[in-house]
Amino acid sequence: MITQMHLKGLMFDPYNNAYIVVLRDEDGSEMLPIWVGKSEANSISMALENVGPPRPMTHDFMKSFLDAYDAKVLSVVITDLADHTYFAKIHLMYGDSEYTVDARPSDAIALALRSQAPIFAKESVLTKQSSEELEQWLENLKPEDFGKLDSGEEK
Amino acid sequence: MSQGNAPQNQSIVEYQIERVVDETSTETRIVVLSRKDGDPDAFPIWIGAAEGHAIKLALDATVTPRPMTHDLIKSFAEHLGVTVRRVVVSDVRNSTYYATVHLGNNGVERILDARPSDALALALRVHCPIYIAEDVLARRSTANLDAWLAKLESKRIGAQPEVREI
Repeated sequence: MITQMHLKGLMFDPYNNAYIVVLRDEDGSEMLPIWVGKSEANSISMALENVGPPRPMTHDFMKSFLDAYDAKVLSVVITDLADHTYFAKIHLMYGDSEYTVDARPSDAIALALRSQAPIFAKESVLTKQSSEELEQWLENLKPEDFGKLDSGEEK
Repeated sequence: MSQGNAPQNQSIVEYQIERVVDETSTETRIVVLSRKDGDPDAFPIWIGAAEGHAIKLALDATVTPRPMTHDLIKSFAEHLGVTVRRVVVSDVRNSTYYATVHLGNNGVERILDARPSDALALALRVHCPIYIAEDVLARRSTANLDAWLAKLESKRIGAQPEVREI
């Protein structure tokens, strides 16, 4: 079973000096946080805000590569979570064939946003990552934590 | 879509990536290219930290647990049966370098516009040749280069004895 997810937001995690992409399902009952690096967050943010950069960013180049061959991104699926590492698959249509390509969720999401492709998460990933965890994390986050860059513990 | 910034049939010179120079104080990295034929010439391109990291990973043949962004582009090329034939630093305008990525599939060449950092990060992963247009070589600012080399030389003394002269 897979559930369609929507990009809810992007925020800074001062504890880990990283960014969190928050995905949420249709009715808001499931939430999936994905920790990504700064450049990945930047790329996702540019797609979210629909900013056309003066030069193609890496995922724009990736998109133009696929466009040049009329390869279409059908969907992306967050498939697994192991040791705090998420795995994703990108489903491509090229010619008459469908291809499944292994990717990091940050790349998959950055590409999906540029391709207007839906983002899904496998149910098993959602149950592994209970949304309570994130809510608890958010509750513990104090305003003074923002901007604290160097004291984050390693993941 | 596919587009080239530079005229076809432009004269080009083959280069290779020498190293990525870290400037830890800033978010800037410098990727240094050298002539493949051994003629002494260093061609520096200023890029972002993340872009520098992507090039350095490939330069050092670092194996990452998950595919990085340019590994994914390589993977797309493999799935689609597309060959990356070469990348060319094809133009310089307003102090910005432009690159083209030349792709081949069923005998048809397509040319994509790219930032040099993406072109180089991809070239290293697919082991394709890297060229710089003669026109770009002729028009680079030597004043900037001299200033940069002077800075590099002073930094290098004692610090990185293994770095070879350029």
